[in-house]
Amino acid sequence: MLAIQTHGLTRHYPGGHGVDELELAVPAGAVYGFLGPNGAGKTTTIRLLLGLLRADRGSIRLHDLPLDRGHRGALARVGALVESPSLYPHLSGRQNLEVTRRLLAAPPSRIDEVLDITGMAGAAARKVRDYSLGMRQRLAIALALLNQPRLLVLDEPGNGLDPAGILDMRRLLRTLATDHGITVFVSSHQLGEIEQVASHVGVLHAGRLRFQGTMAELRARSRPRLHLRCDDPMRARLLLAAAGEQVDHAGDDGLAVALQSRPESELNRLLVEAGLAVSHLVREQASLESLFFDVTGHAGVAA
Amino acid sequence: MNALLRALSAEALKLRGTLALWMCVIAPATVAALYMLQMVVMDYDKRPTMPPDEAWKMYAQAVLALWTILMLPLFVTLEAALLAGLEHANQQWKHLLALPLKRSAHYLAKSLALTGLVALSMLVLCLLIPAGGWLLDVLQPRFGIGGPPPMRFILSHAGIAFGAALLMVALQGWIALRWRSFTIAVASGMTATVVGYLVGQSERFGHWYPWSMALQTMATEPKHLDFVLVAGIGGGLVVTALAAWECARRDVA
Repeated sequence: MLAIQTHGLTRHYPGGHGVDELELAVPAGAVYGFLGPNGAGKTTTIRLLLGLLRADRGSIRLHDLPLDRGHRGALARVGALVESPSLYPHLSGRQNLEVTRRLLAAPPSRIDEVLDITGMAGAAARKVRDYSLGMRQRLAIALALLNQPRLLVLDEPGNGLDPAGILDMRRLLRTLATDHGITVFVSSHQLGEIEQVASHVGVLHAGRLRFQGTMAELRARSRPRLHLRCDDPMRARLLLAAAGEQVDHAGDDGLAVALQSRPESELNRLLVEAGLAVSHLVREQASLESLFFDVTGHAGVAA
Repeated sequence: MNALLRALSAEALKLRGTLALWMCVIAPATVAALYMLQMVVMDYDKRPTMPPDEAWKMYAQAVLALWTILMLPLFVTLEAALLAGLEHANQQWKHLLALPLKRSAHYLAKSLALTGLVALSMLVLCLLIPAGGWLLDVLQPRFGIGGPPPMRFILSHAGIAFGAALLMVALQGWIALRWRSFTIAVASGMTATVVGYLVGQSERFGHWYPWSMALQTMATEPKHLDFVLVAGIGGGLVVTALAAWECARRDVA
């Protein structure tokens, strides 16, 4: 079952920005990290998914229900936070929740439930104008939870938060997915953030989806590398190249070897048996950041 | 209808403690107080004495005219801008319009809230007129007010002016909700008010201009009463329906 499914979703703006032929497939229950640099089209995609923008072409299905201007029922179990929190500063946190509760006709008891989930119960009586940005973000997520969503769409929820706030937000997203079974679609340009919370990832670049899959699938796209240092790097390089390995310089007399079929122990033996003194040997998994640049840097690698 | 009632209920909560709500008392009180002050300090030597019930009516009509000519269009402008500002200021539209509610319900609720605030302010004015009259009688007995206030006269005149103002309310509400800028909402309303002050005095055009339709109802012998009432109410309904339709189709960028 897919929580979000789009086919050929396209929306262009004058000047060439927008999104092109998006084929999103977000599995129910996943934490889907929607990655992309600023201007990639993440917010446009989210606004399309919430019916705030009309698509030039293509279709959207949320939990298998179609979404367009004539069919908004698909949004019944969707909660959203688009960019900055939309709150009424002159009202208290609880009154802000009450405004949306009335619109949704949700039961009054739901307000206390979402305040507990987001850890905002203690501040509910205070005016929102006195809230910190982190508290506002939490209250905005509480608003998004009022209709007991099966899908939560969050656009850059960590924006502007301090490190403690980011940690809190990360914990909250994990709780929502694991304890409440909510599918979380979270956009970000902060790669580290997504790496910490997402089970699935989509990479958007210049309006096109360059990759979509699990985190493991993304990692599998890049082989680990071996970093080594020895007393004669030039000779080591020739030896390894002669053995069929792909070797690059890695600065400070170091070498980087893209691991293929030979394990690092065998490469080490090869060098030692040739009389080289190996002083440093580290296997390095590709970071999400390097994968991200790898994916967005080559248009042909879309999954 | 259910969605509209829910949206109206939400609007009522949003208005708590806002300047928009306070203005429903402040604006009519200012008009009533200003006119009373003028009558207290007026030179009564040149003014003919009039029967108490005539004095009541003259006083009530003068307050209503001052309200209708100047304060009502400015009040509608400010209220529309303040109400719309609640949603524009913190980009509430992207939250509201992503909810599983008919988009037009949000617009209609906001439009009804604006109309309700205008009605409330005029009701407050209708209550302040007798209060001001009694105070005027105490401070300046030579004005000649006496006996019970002509409530039927006050309410009927205020009601007719309210009906004739509905097209202006609908237009000003649409401008304020359509464009995010507070400046556009206020500048358009102020300009339209000044133009209305001039056009409203025209025999030929006064009853055609939405911002001076209410003013036409204050004439001693109004010639276009039926027209401005039908145009005000009917035009207000048409503009509101078209604006709600446009709101339902609009992209939230």
